[in-house]
Amino acid sequence: MMLRASSTANDLELDLDVVRGDLQESGAIQHAPELAALVDASVNDLASLPSARSALVEATDEATMLDAAAVVANFEMMTRIADGTGTRHPADRLESMSELSSSMGLGDFASERA
Amino acid sequence: MTKTPTSLIESSHEATDLHIRSDLTAAHAHVWEKLAAPGTWWNGSERLAVAEVVRVALGDFDPVPPWDSASKSGRLPNDSVISSELQDAVYRLAVHAGTLTEGWYQKMRDATGVTPQQWVEIIEVTISVASVLRFAQLAGIDSPDFPEPLQGHPTRQTQPSKPAKHHWVPVVHLEDSTPELAPFYAGLPALAPVIRALSSVPAAMDTLFTLGDAQYIPMREMVDLNWTRGTLSRRQIELVAGRLSAHRECFY
Repeated sequence: MMLRASSTANDLELDLDVVRGDLQESGAIQHAPELAALVDASVNDLASLPSARSALVEATDEATMLDAAAVVANFEMMTRIADGTGTRHPADRLESMSELSSSMGLGDFASERA
Repeated sequence: MTKTPTSLIESSHEATDLHIRSDLTAAHAHVWEKLAAPGTWWNGSERLAVAEVVRVALGDFDPVPPWDSASKSGRLPNDSVISSELQDAVYRLAVHAGTLTEGWYQKMRDATGVTPQQWVEIIEVTISVASVLRFAQLAGIDSPDFPEPLQGHPTRQTQPSKPAKHHWVPVVHLEDSTPELAPFYAGLPALAPVIRALSSVPAAMDTLFTLGDAQYIPMREMVDLNWTRGTLSRRQIELVAGRLSAHRECFY
């Protein structure tokens, strides 16, 4: 996972609950709660999307909000490529991810392909 | 006068006080130009029919569950140029991609008669529409209309794709690269399986690279774990990417 790699590269401690859990402000990732709220609203609660957008702009700026929107758009693409083509990780990669996968409950996903 | 695909995207991006990056506008315009034009295996009307299912699916606030038929629900056009079985497959890819299995893929191919390369092109159309419309939704701007279909025949250009260990679909391995794939393969010692997944259709690789470079990180910068455009840090980018992928229950 690139989030873990980019944190390790900078000697930052990162709780990977940021990917699935409730978020607090984190030293490793600035404005994590606002970024997560934008993603969550876009998937689960479109009525709250305008306020999530405004909160992120207030915490950062419009250019940052637009780039976050673009990253969401990109992973709407990547997830459909991976799941539509049945893409699997190579065995060595799966092994290196095993601890992370179980701690995050990724094995519960129907899309797990070993 | 009919608007060009590029002008549809530009109108959407310019009808706001927000300053949208010109490279992002250009990337979305590029895939909109291809959206309703003849592709590799489908003509413009067929590609647009796939796009229409994706648009309906993404805007469906109460989606049809993965085990039901969207085409029988009355939500999809009943005069489509693609079959109802294929409409169902596209709908499920658009809203329930995380539920797809290899068994589903085989049954879908039996029911629709699509080849793996035709399926790859359907994925390409789906990701074009999902990228453009979801960006507009998140940014709070108007969604662009679809372009008019262009006449003409698909190119039917084949590639030396082979069965793959890490995919349901065949892929072109690095050592079998062709001139059409050179812009994506050249100089790379390896390519992540998810990037190689679309390689049997180079036009789909073009869509992936065009969108990925503008929406996420230019492919050649991927190894720089501190890369930034000056807005989001790399860790912020990966947080957004990881959280969205978890919502979509994408194991990969």
